[in-house]
Amino acid sequence: MQIIELIDYTLEPEGARNGLNDFSFSLSGGDGYAVETDSIDDAVLFLKAVVTWVSPQKGIYRFNGVNIDLDDYRNSLLCKRKIGYIASDAALISNRTVRDNLIFMRCYHEDSLLLTLDDTTAELCRKFDIADKLDRRPGELHPRDIKNAITIRELSKSPDVLVLERPEDFIDHTKFDLFKEAVTAMTRQGLPVVFYSSDRNFINTFSNKKARISKGRLTFLSS
Amino acid sequence: MNTHAGYIGRRALTTAGHFLNLLAFICNILRLIFHRFPTGRALLKKFTLEQIYFTAYQALYVIIPVALLIGSMLIVQIAKVSTQYDLGKIMVLLIVREIAPIVTALIVILRTATAVSIEIGYMQVFHEIEAIEMAGIDPLRIICLPRLVGITAAILCLFVIFNLVAVIGGYLTVWIFTYIPVKNLLGQIETAITFTDILAGTIKALLFGLTITVICLYHGFKANLKITGIPAQTSKVAVECFFSCLVIDVIISILFYL
Repeated sequence: MQIIELIDYTLEPEGARNGLNDFSFSLSGGDGYAVETDSIDDAVLFLKAVVTWVSPQKGIYRFNGVNIDLDDYRNSLLCKRKIGYIASDAALISNRTVRDNLIFMRCYHEDSLLLTLDDTTAELCRKFDIADKLDRRPGELHPRDIKNAITIRELSKSPDVLVLERPEDFIDHTKFDLFKEAVTAMTRQGLPVVFYSSDRNFINTFSNKKARISKGRLTFLSS
Repeated sequence: MNTHAGYIGRRALTTAGHFLNLLAFICNILRLIFHRFPTGRALLKKFTLEQIYFTAYQALYVIIPVALLIGSMLIVQIAKVSTQYDLGKIMVLLIVREIAPIVTALIVILRTATAVSIEIGYMQVFHEIEAIEMAGIDPLRIICLPRLVGITAAILCLFVIFNLVAVIGGYLTVWIFTYIPVKNLLGQIETAITFTDILAGTIKALLFGLTITVICLYHGFKANLKITGIPAQTSKVAVECFFSCLVIDVIISILFYL
Protein backbone atom coordinates (compact mmCIF):
# COMPACT_ATOMS: atom_id res chain seq x y z
CA MET A 1 0.00 0.00 0.00
CA GLN A 2 1.17 3.51 -0.86
CA ILE A 3 1.89 5.64 2.19
CA ILE A 4 2.14 8.96 0.37
CA GLU A 5 0.79 9.77 -3.06
CA LEU A 6 1.02 13.09 -4.86
CA ILE A 7 -1.26 12.82 -7.87
CA ASP A 8 -1.18 15.25 -10.82
CA TYR A 9 0.61 17.74 -8.63
CA THR A 10 1.68 21.21 -9.72
CA LEU A 11 3.71 23.37 -7.37
CA GLU A 12 3.93 27.07 -7.90
CA PRO A 13 7.48 28.46 -8.24
CA GLU A 14 8.75 30.63 -5.39
CA GLY A 15 11.80 32.89 -5.57
CA ALA A 16 14.57 31.18 -7.52
CA ARG A 17 12.61 27.95 -7.82
CA ASN A 18 11.23 26.67 -11.10
CA GLY A 19 8.27 25.05 -9.43
CA LEU A 20 7.16 21.56 -10.43
CA ASN A 21 4.68 20.87 -13.17
CA ASP A 22 2.14 18.12 -13.36
CA PHE A 23 3.91 15.23 -11.69
CA SER A 24 2.84 12.20 -9.73
CA PHE A 25 4.83 10.56 -6.98
CA SER A 26 4.12 7.67 -4.69
CA LEU A 27 5.98 6.22 -1.77
CA SER A 28 5.53 2.76 -0.31
CA GLY A 29 7.12 0.90 2.59
CA GLY A 30 10.74 0.03 1.88
CA ASP A 31 11.23 2.79 -0.72
CA GLY A 32 14.38 4.86 -0.53
CA TYR A 33 14.00 7.83 -2.87
CA ALA A 34 17.03 9.95 -3.65
CA VAL A 35 16.18 13.26 -5.28
CA GLU A 36 18.64 14.66 -7.81
CA THR A 37 18.42 18.16 -9.14
CA ASP A 38 20.31 21.13 -10.61
CA SER A 39 18.47 23.48 -8.27
CA ILE A 40 18.54 22.90 -4.50
CA ASP A 41 15.46 25.13 -4.19
CA ASP A 42 13.43 22.76 -6.35
CA ALA A 43 14.50 19.77 -4.28
CA VAL A 44 13.54 21.61 -1.10
CA LEU A 45 10.20 22.55 -2.66
CA PHE A 46 9.55 18.91 -3.54
CA LEU A 47 10.46 17.70 -0.03
CA LYS A 48 8.20 20.37 1.48
CA ALA A 49 5.37 19.17 -0.74
CA VAL A 50 5.91 15.59 0.50
CA VAL A 51 5.75 16.87 4.11
CA THR A 52 2.62 18.95 3.24
CA TRP A 53 4.33 22.25 3.97
CA VAL A 54 3.52 23.43 0.47
CA SER A 55 0.02 23.28 -0.95
CA PRO A 56 -0.24 22.49 -4.64
CA GLN A 57 -1.71 24.74 -7.29
CA LYS A 58 -3.53 21.62 -8.39
CA GLY A 59 -3.37 17.97 -7.52
CA ILE A 60 -4.32 15.46 -4.86
CA TYR A 61 -2.35 14.57 -1.75
CA ARG A 62 -3.12 11.14 -0.38
CA PHE A 63 -1.80 9.76 2.92
CA ASN A 64 -2.32 6.09 3.70
CA GLY A 65 -4.98 6.00 0.99
CA VAL A 66 -6.96 8.96 2.33
CA ASN A 67 -7.29 12.19 0.33
CA ILE A 68 -6.10 15.16 2.37
CA ASP A 69 -7.50 18.62 1.69
CA LEU A 70 -4.47 20.84 2.20
CA ASP A 71 -6.48 24.07 2.00
CA ASP A 72 -7.07 23.71 5.74
CA TYR A 73 -3.79 23.22 7.61
CA ARG A 74 -5.56 21.19 10.32
CA ASN A 75 -6.17 18.36 7.87
CA SER A 76 -2.45 17.92 7.35
CA LEU A 77 -1.59 17.61 11.07
CA LEU A 78 -2.17 13.86 11.12
CA CYS A 79 0.23 13.38 8.19
CA LYS A 80 2.84 15.69 9.66
CA ARG A 81 2.77 13.75 12.91
CA LYS A 82 3.67 10.60 10.99
CA ILE A 83 6.54 12.16 9.02
CA GLY A 84 10.03 12.59 10.41
CA TYR A 85 11.42 15.75 8.86
CA ILE A 86 15.10 16.57 9.23
CA ALA A 87 15.83 19.71 7.27
CA SER A 88 17.51 23.09 7.50
CA ASP A 89 14.28 24.78 8.62
CA ALA A 90 13.44 22.27 11.36
CA ALA A 91 13.53 23.85 14.82
CA LEU A 92 13.15 23.26 18.53
CA ILE A 93 10.65 25.26 20.59
CA SER A 94 12.92 27.81 22.19
CA ASN A 95 11.02 28.53 25.41
CA ARG A 96 11.03 24.87 26.46
CA THR A 97 13.93 22.70 27.57
CA VAL A 98 15.40 20.08 25.26
CA ARG A 99 13.72 17.38 27.39
CA ASP A 100 10.34 19.13 27.03
CA ASN A 101 10.91 19.32 23.28
CA LEU A 102 11.67 15.62 23.07
CA ILE A 103 8.57 14.55 25.00
CA PHE A 104 6.29 17.35 23.82
CA MET A 105 4.49 15.30 21.19
CA ARG A 106 3.96 12.34 23.51
CA CYS A 107 2.77 14.57 26.37
CA TYR A 108 0.15 16.04 24.07
CA HIS A 109 -1.07 12.86 22.42
CA GLU A 110 -0.89 10.72 25.56
CA ASP A 111 -2.37 13.58 27.59
CA SER A 112 0.09 13.36 30.45
CA LEU A 113 2.67 15.61 32.08
CA LEU A 114 4.37 12.80 33.93
CA LEU A 115 6.17 11.26 30.98
CA THR A 116 9.90 10.65 30.89
CA LEU A 117 12.16 9.95 27.94
CA ASP A 118 11.68 6.44 26.62
CA ASP A 119 14.67 4.09 26.44
CA THR A 120 15.29 4.60 22.70
CA THR A 121 15.29 8.39 23.00
CA ALA A 122 17.48 8.32 26.11
CA GLU A 123 19.93 6.04 24.30
CA LEU A 124 20.01 8.38 21.28
CA CYS A 125 20.58 11.36 23.60
CA ARG A 126 23.52 9.56 25.14
CA LYS A 127 24.96 8.64 21.74
CA PHE A 128 24.52 12.17 20.39
CA ASP A 129 26.09 13.68 23.55
CA ILE A 130 23.12 15.73 24.68
CA ALA A 131 22.14 13.61 27.69
CA ASP A 132 23.67 16.18 30.06
CA LYS A 133 22.02 19.11 28.28
CA LEU A 134 18.42 17.94 28.45
CA ASP A 135 17.39 20.55 31.01
CA ARG A 136 18.77 23.47 29.05
CA ARG A 137 16.83 25.59 26.62
CA PRO A 138 17.84 25.69 22.95
CA GLY A 139 19.20 29.23 23.32
CA GLU A 140 21.85 27.94 25.73
CA LEU A 141 23.06 25.23 23.36
CA HIS A 142 25.54 25.11 20.50
CA PRO A 143 23.76 24.92 17.11
CA ARG A 144 25.30 21.45 16.69
CA ASP A 145 23.49 20.23 19.81
CA ILE A 146 20.23 21.80 18.66
CA LYS A 147 20.48 19.91 15.36
CA ASN A 148 21.28 16.71 17.22
CA ALA A 149 18.21 17.22 19.42
CA ILE A 150 16.02 17.82 16.34
CA THR A 151 17.41 14.64 14.77
CA ILE A 152 16.63 12.65 17.92
CA ARG A 153 13.13 14.14 18.15
CA GLU A 154 12.31 13.21 14.57
CA LEU A 155 13.80 9.72 14.75
CA SER A 156 12.10 8.93 18.05
CA LYS A 157 8.61 9.97 16.93
CA SER A 158 8.24 6.54 15.23
CA PRO A 159 7.55 8.05 11.81
CA ASP A 160 5.87 6.27 8.91
CA VAL A 161 8.09 8.21 6.50
CA LEU A 162 11.45 9.94 6.89
CA VAL A 163 12.21 13.05 4.84
CA LEU A 164 15.78 14.33 4.88
CA GLU A 165 17.23 17.48 3.37
CA ARG A 166 21.02 17.35 2.99
CA PRO A 167 21.55 15.25 6.15
CA GLU A 168 25.31 15.47 5.70
CA ASP A 169 25.11 19.25 6.26
CA PHE A 170 22.53 19.10 9.03
CA ILE A 171 24.10 16.47 11.23
CA ASP A 172 27.45 16.93 12.91
CA HIS A 173 29.99 14.90 10.91
CA THR A 174 31.27 13.17 14.06
CA LYS A 175 27.75 11.81 14.62
CA PHE A 176 26.87 11.16 11.01
CA ASP A 177 27.76 7.46 11.19
CA LEU A 178 25.56 7.14 14.28
CA PHE A 179 22.74 8.77 12.38
CA LYS A 180 23.22 6.41 9.44
CA GLU A 181 23.14 3.45 11.84
CA ALA A 182 19.85 4.65 13.31
CA VAL A 183 18.32 5.23 9.85
CA THR A 184 19.59 1.85 8.62
CA ALA A 185 17.88 0.14 11.56
CA MET A 186 14.63 1.93 10.70
CA THR A 187 14.79 1.27 6.95
CA ARG A 188 15.42 -2.42 7.61
CA GLN A 189 11.98 -2.47 9.22
CA GLY A 190 10.50 -1.04 6.02
CA LEU A 191 10.53 2.70 6.79
CA PRO A 192 10.44 4.63 3.49
CA VAL A 193 12.90 7.49 3.09
CA VAL A 194 12.88 10.46 0.73
CA PHE A 195 15.99 12.57 0.73
CA TYR A 196 18.05 15.11 -1.08
CA SER A 197 21.76 14.62 -0.50
CA SER A 198 25.03 15.30 -2.24
CA ASP A 199 26.82 12.57 -0.28
CA ARG A 200 27.34 9.71 -2.80
CA ASN A 201 27.92 7.19 -0.04
CA PHE A 202 24.63 8.17 1.67
CA ILE A 203 22.74 8.01 -1.63
CA ASN A 204 24.14 4.56 -2.44
CA THR A 205 23.35 3.26 1.04
CA PHE A 206 19.77 4.48 1.36
CA SER A 207 18.33 4.79 -2.14
CA ASN A 208 16.69 2.09 -4.18
CA LYS A 209 14.84 4.58 -6.39
CA LYS A 210 15.87 7.90 -7.87
CA ALA A 211 13.92 10.92 -9.00
CA ARG A 212 15.36 13.81 -10.96
CA ILE A 213 14.00 17.33 -10.95
CA SER A 214 15.02 19.42 -13.91
CA LYS A 215 13.43 22.59 -15.30
CA GLY A 216 10.21 22.05 -13.43
CA ARG A 217 9.77 18.39 -14.35
CA LEU A 218 10.09 15.34 -12.14
CA THR A 219 11.33 12.19 -13.83
CA PHE A 220 12.10 8.81 -12.34
CA LEU A 221 15.44 7.20 -13.02
CA SER A 222 16.18 3.53 -12.88
CA SER A 223 18.52 2.85 -9.97
CA MET B 1 -10.28 65.81 -3.65
CA ASN B 2 -10.44 62.46 -5.40
CA THR B 3 -7.10 61.49 -3.89
CA HIS B 4 -8.29 62.33 -0.37
CA ALA B 5 -11.56 60.47 -0.88
CA GLY B 6 -9.64 57.51 -2.29
CA TYR B 7 -7.25 57.54 0.67
CA ILE B 8 -10.10 57.64 3.16
CA GLY B 9 -11.89 54.85 1.29
CA ARG B 10 -8.79 52.67 1.17
CA ARG B 11 -8.10 53.26 4.87
CA ALA B 12 -11.70 52.42 5.72
CA LEU B 13 -11.52 49.18 3.71
CA THR B 14 -8.18 48.21 5.27
CA THR B 15 -9.48 48.91 8.77
CA ALA B 16 -12.69 46.98 8.12
CA GLY B 17 -10.68 44.08 6.66
CA HIS B 18 -8.36 44.07 9.67
CA PHE B 19 -11.31 44.14 12.06
CA LEU B 20 -12.95 41.22 10.25
CA ASN B 21 -9.68 39.26 10.29
CA LEU B 22 -9.42 39.78 14.06
CA LEU B 23 -13.03 38.69 14.45
CA ALA B 24 -12.46 35.54 12.37
CA PHE B 25 -9.31 34.82 14.38
CA ILE B 26 -11.09 35.14 17.72
CA CYS B 27 -13.97 32.97 16.45
CA ASN B 28 -11.49 30.27 15.44
CA ILE B 29 -9.91 30.31 18.90
CA LEU B 30 -13.20 30.49 20.81
CA ARG B 31 -14.56 27.58 18.77
CA LEU B 32 -11.77 25.45 20.24
CA ILE B 33 -13.06 26.09 23.78
CA PHE B 34 -16.27 24.24 22.97
CA HIS B 35 -14.53 21.41 21.12
CA ARG B 36 -13.93 18.40 23.35
CA PHE B 37 -10.56 17.10 22.19
CA PRO B 38 -9.55 13.70 23.55
CA THR B 39 -5.87 14.67 23.92
CA GLY B 40 -3.71 17.54 25.03
CA ARG B 41 -5.77 18.65 28.02
CA ALA B 42 -2.94 18.28 30.51
CA LEU B 43 -0.55 20.38 28.42
CA LEU B 44 -3.26 22.94 27.78
CA LYS B 45 -3.96 23.28 31.48
CA LYS B 46 -0.24 23.63 32.22
CA PHE B 47 0.24 26.36 29.58
CA THR B 48 -2.86 28.23 30.79
CA LEU B 49 -1.61 28.22 34.39
CA GLU B 50 1.82 29.36 33.20
CA GLN B 51 0.18 32.25 31.35
CA ILE B 52 -1.82 33.26 34.43
CA TYR B 53 1.40 33.10 36.48
CA PHE B 54 3.27 35.35 34.00
CA THR B 55 0.44 37.80 33.47
CA ALA B 56 -1.21 37.99 36.90
CA TYR B 57 1.20 36.85 39.60
CA GLN B 58 4.34 38.43 38.14
CA ALA B 59 2.43 41.67 37.48
CA LEU B 60 1.49 42.03 41.16
CA TYR B 61 4.83 43.75 41.84
CA VAL B 62 3.81 46.43 39.36
CA ILE B 63 0.08 46.67 39.85
CA ILE B 64 0.06 46.92 43.67
CA PRO B 65 2.35 49.99 43.91
CA VAL B 66 0.63 51.61 40.91
CA ALA B 67 -2.83 51.05 42.45
CA LEU B 68 -1.62 52.31 45.82
CA LEU B 69 -0.13 55.47 44.31
CA ILE B 70 -3.16 56.20 42.14
CA GLY B 71 -5.57 55.49 45.03
CA SER B 72 -3.72 57.73 47.50
CA MET B 73 -3.22 60.49 44.95
CA LEU B 74 -6.90 60.52 44.01
CA ILE B 75 -8.10 60.49 47.64
CA VAL B 76 -5.77 63.38 48.48
CA GLN B 77 -6.86 65.43 45.46
CA ILE B 78 -10.57 64.65 45.69
CA ALA B 79 -10.69 65.20 49.46
CA LYS B 80 -9.43 68.74 48.89
CA VAL B 81 -12.00 69.70 46.28
CA SER B 82 -15.09 67.75 47.31
CA THR B 83 -17.18 67.47 50.42
CA GLN B 84 -16.85 64.43 52.67
CA TYR B 85 -20.18 63.18 51.44
CA ASP B 86 -19.08 62.97 47.79
CA LEU B 87 -15.70 61.38 48.37
CA GLY B 88 -16.82 57.72 48.30
CA LYS B 89 -19.07 58.27 45.28
CA ILE B 90 -16.35 60.02 43.30
CA MET B 91 -13.87 57.27 44.19
CA VAL B 92 -16.25 54.64 42.81
CA LEU B 93 -16.89 56.76 39.75
CA LEU B 94 -13.22 57.27 38.98
CA ILE B 95 -11.40 54.19 40.23
CA VAL B 96 -13.85 51.31 39.93
CA ARG B 97 -15.57 52.45 36.76
CA GLU B 98 -12.77 53.98 34.72
CA ILE B 99 -9.23 54.04 36.07
CA ALA B 100 -8.94 50.44 37.30
CA PRO B 101 -9.91 48.73 34.01
CA ILE B 102 -7.82 51.05 31.85
CA VAL B 103 -4.69 51.03 34.04
CA THR B 104 -4.92 47.25 34.44
CA ALA B 105 -5.21 46.88 30.67
CA LEU B 106 -2.30 49.27 30.15
CA ILE B 107 -0.05 47.28 32.50
CA VAL B 108 -1.00 44.00 30.79
CA ILE B 109 -0.35 45.55 27.39
CA LEU B 110 3.07 46.81 28.47
CA ARG B 111 4.12 43.61 30.21
CA THR B 112 2.32 40.79 28.44
CA ALA B 113 0.92 41.80 25.06
CA THR B 114 4.28 43.02 23.81
CA ALA B 115 6.02 39.92 25.19
CA VAL B 116 3.50 37.53 23.63
CA SER B 117 3.66 39.34 20.31
CA ILE B 118 7.47 39.09 20.25
CA GLU B 119 7.38 35.46 21.38
CA ILE B 120 4.93 34.39 18.69
CA GLY B 121 6.69 36.47 16.03
CA TYR B 122 9.97 34.83 17.00
CA MET B 123 8.38 31.38 16.88
CA GLN B 124 6.95 32.16 13.47
CA VAL B 125 10.23 33.46 12.06
CA PHE B 126 12.32 30.57 13.40
CA HIS B 127 9.90 27.84 12.24
CA GLU B 128 8.90 26.86 15.78
CA ILE B 129 5.21 26.96 14.86
CA GLU B 130 6.05 24.49 12.10
CA ALA B 131 7.81 22.30 14.67
CA ILE B 132 4.57 22.22 16.68
CA GLU B 133 2.60 21.28 13.57
CA MET B 134 5.13 18.54 12.78
CA ALA B 135 4.17 17.00 16.12
CA GLY B 136 0.59 16.82 14.84
CA ILE B 137 -0.54 19.59 17.17
CA ASP B 138 -2.74 22.51 16.18
CA PRO B 139 -0.81 25.70 17.11
CA LEU B 140 -4.09 27.54 17.53
CA ARG B 141 -5.02 25.11 20.32
CA ILE B 142 -1.68 24.81 22.08
CA ILE B 143 -0.46 28.41 21.68
CA CYS B 144 -3.51 30.64 21.31
CA LEU B 145 -6.11 29.02 23.55
CA PRO B 146 -4.02 28.95 26.76
CA ARG B 147 -2.99 32.54 26.18
CA LEU B 148 -6.53 33.70 25.54
CA VAL B 149 -7.90 32.02 28.66
CA GLY B 150 -4.83 32.86 30.77
CA ILE B 151 -4.58 36.54 29.88
CA THR B 152 -8.33 37.11 30.19
CA ALA B 153 -8.47 35.41 33.59
CA ALA B 154 -5.37 37.33 34.67
CA ILE B 155 -6.86 40.70 33.69
CA LEU B 156 -10.01 39.90 35.66
CA CYS B 157 -7.94 39.03 38.76
CA LEU B 158 -5.70 42.09 38.36
CA PHE B 159 -8.76 44.31 37.96
CA VAL B 160 -10.17 43.11 41.30
CA ILE B 161 -6.78 43.48 42.99
CA PHE B 162 -6.29 46.97 41.56
CA ASN B 163 -9.67 48.10 42.91
CA LEU B 164 -9.06 46.69 46.38
CA VAL B 165 -5.53 48.06 46.66
CA ALA B 166 -6.45 51.47 45.24
CA VAL B 167 -9.41 51.96 47.56
CA ILE B 168 -8.32 50.25 50.78
CA GLY B 169 -4.59 50.90 50.36
CA GLY B 170 -5.19 54.48 49.30
CA TYR B 171 -7.46 55.03 52.29
CA LEU B 172 -4.89 53.58 54.71
CA THR B 173 -2.01 55.53 53.17
CA VAL B 174 -3.89 58.82 53.44
CA TRP B 175 -5.12 57.99 56.95
CA ILE B 176 -1.62 57.09 58.19
CA PHE B 177 0.44 59.79 56.49
CA THR B 178 -1.84 62.87 56.24
CA TYR B 179 -4.35 64.84 58.30
CA ILE B 180 -6.94 64.84 55.53
CA PRO B 181 -10.30 63.79 57.01
CA VAL B 182 -11.36 60.58 55.25
CA LYS B 183 -13.68 59.24 57.91
CA ASN B 184 -16.33 56.79 56.69
CA LEU B 185 -14.75 56.63 53.20
CA LEU B 186 -15.08 52.85 53.01
CA GLY B 187 -18.68 53.04 54.20
CA GLN B 188 -19.44 55.66 51.53
CA ILE B 189 -17.84 53.50 48.85
CA GLU B 190 -19.86 50.52 50.03
CA THR B 191 -23.03 52.58 49.68
CA ALA B 192 -22.04 54.09 46.35
CA ILE B 193 -20.97 50.90 44.56
CA THR B 194 -23.75 49.12 42.70
CA PHE B 195 -24.18 45.79 40.96
CA THR B 196 -23.95 47.66 37.63
CA ASP B 197 -20.45 48.87 38.55
CA ILE B 198 -19.31 45.34 39.26
CA LEU B 199 -20.94 43.96 36.12
CA ALA B 200 -19.59 46.73 33.89
CA GLY B 201 -16.10 46.29 35.36
CA THR B 202 -16.21 42.53 34.82
CA ILE B 203 -17.38 42.89 31.23
CA LYS B 204 -14.68 45.46 30.55
CA ALA B 205 -12.01 43.18 32.01
CA LEU B 206 -13.22 40.21 29.96
CA LEU B 207 -13.40 42.18 26.72
CA PHE B 208 -10.00 43.78 27.36
CA GLY B 209 -8.54 40.32 27.91
CA LEU B 210 -9.98 38.96 24.67
CA THR B 211 -9.03 42.03 22.67
CA ILE B 212 -5.46 42.27 23.96
CA THR B 213 -4.78 38.58 23.43
CA VAL B 214 -6.26 38.40 19.97
CA ILE B 215 -4.43 41.50 18.76
CA CYS B 216 -1.05 40.38 20.06
CA LEU B 217 -1.43 36.81 18.76
CA TYR B 218 -2.71 37.98 15.38
CA HIS B 219 0.21 40.34 14.83
CA GLY B 220 2.64 37.73 16.16
CA PHE B 221 1.45 35.20 13.59
CA LYS B 222 1.68 37.84 10.89
CA ALA B 223 5.43 38.33 11.48
CA ASN B 224 5.80 36.54 8.14
CA LEU B 225 9.31 35.14 8.32
CA LYS B 226 11.01 38.50 8.76
CA ILE B 227 12.83 39.13 12.04
CA THR B 228 13.01 42.84 11.20
CA GLY B 229 9.22 42.93 11.16
CA ILE B 230 8.94 41.99 14.84
CA PRO B 231 9.82 45.38 16.45
CA ALA B 232 7.40 47.20 14.15
CA GLN B 233 4.67 44.62 14.88
CA THR B 234 5.26 44.95 18.62
CA SER B 235 4.90 48.71 18.54
CA LYS B 236 1.74 48.32 16.45
CA VAL B 237 0.39 45.78 18.96
CA ALA B 238 0.88 48.12 21.94
CA VAL B 239 -0.82 51.06 20.23
CA GLU B 240 -3.66 48.99 18.76
CA CYS B 241 -4.35 47.18 22.04
CA PHE B 242 -4.49 50.42 24.02
CA PHE B 243 -6.64 52.19 21.48
CA SER B 244 -9.04 49.23 21.24
CA CYS B 245 -9.33 49.05 25.03
CA LEU B 246 -10.15 52.77 25.18
CA VAL B 247 -12.86 52.35 22.55
CA ILE B 248 -14.33 49.33 24.38
CA ASP B 249 -14.17 51.25 27.66
CA VAL B 250 -16.12 54.15 26.19
CA ILE B 251 -18.71 51.87 24.58
CA ILE B 252 -19.31 49.89 27.80
CA SER B 253 -19.51 53.09 29.86
CA ILE B 254 -22.06 54.55 27.45
CA LEU B 255 -24.11 51.33 27.46
CA PHE B 256 -24.17 51.03 31.24
CA TYR B 257 -24.21 54.61 32.51
CA LEU B 258 -25.95 56.78 29.95
